[in-house]
Amino acid sequence: MSGAAGYAMVLYLSARANTAMSKEACALRESASAIVCSAERSLALFGPKVSLISDIYDLASESQNDLELTVPREAIERAVLFIRTLPDDLPLPEIAIEPGGSISFDWISSRTRVFSLSLGSTNRLAFAWIDGTDRGHAVAGFDGAIPPRIIEGIREITNGQTPAVRLA
Amino acid sequence: MGRLLPSGLPESIADHEDLARILRSSSHFSASGVKAAAFMPAKDGRTSVIRHGSEPRHSLWSVGAQVLGTPVRHGAAICGTSAIRRERLDVLADEPPLRHANIVGWPTNADAELQKAQQKELALAIAAKSTLVRLDE
Repeated sequence: MSGAAGYAMVLYLSARANTAMSKEACALRESASAIVCSAERSLALFGPKVSLISDIYDLASESQNDLELTVPREAIERAVLFIRTLPDDLPLPEIAIEPGGSISFDWISSRTRVFSLSLGSTNRLAFAWIDGTDRGHAVAGFDGAIPPRIIEGIREITNGQTPAVRLA
Repeated sequence: MGRLLPSGLPESIADHEDLARILRSSSHFSASGVKAAAFMPAKDGRTSVIRHGSEPRHSLWSVGAQVLGTPVRHGAAICGTSAIRRERLDVLADEPPLRHANIVGWPTNADAELQKAQQKELALAIAAKSTLVRLDE
């Protein structure tokens, strides 16, 4: 059974009102209700991230016929891990495919306030920012945890923006 | 005046000339404008552009298609040559195709990620000074 079909069955069971239910049926219905609550809570928490991950796959697919923009599988996997690791109180970035197949994550507050980082096939992140006349660049490791200096940099650029929503 | 190219343009690109970077991916722009990724150099260390402003639009798409080898699908980022040179990069004519040029002089480094970070900083600055022209406008 697919995930969607399974979820539909659980929804059906949780919504079914039957006064003549057996003890087992009642237990099943309570379990189904719990699953629905849990699934809906997950969707509320992770929905925007799931949508962003889906966008990465879509863009990688769109770019696969352009040799310059073909995204290696390792870069996609690393990008997905990065999104899952992003703190929930940070706005989600825009994404772009760079020449060479790296995935760029861009937090764009305005044309002159941007924090951008690249994820490729290695465990090192290339990042740069402009904030008015202030600008710079650096490299940091990514082993499944996002370095604090990157989180601070994103916060400085996105200060005051709503978390868990896509910028722009 | 220096040597003229087959396009009729001078080989030397003036600071006041507009350049168009044809956008090859829908991810290279958004409602916010042009993204840095649009200007990042290819593996050969060059960013391909055409010597063309935002008008006339039909000519922009036609020249863009000749350079790409396929129809333009998304649009172009327009920026001044002076904005490129302010970042200590240069723009050199490279015909054919007609009106084609390359942004060159991108930083290089033995550390590939550091090189990318250096290039990204410059691309961010160029993107900030660019104007997005959508194909469907």
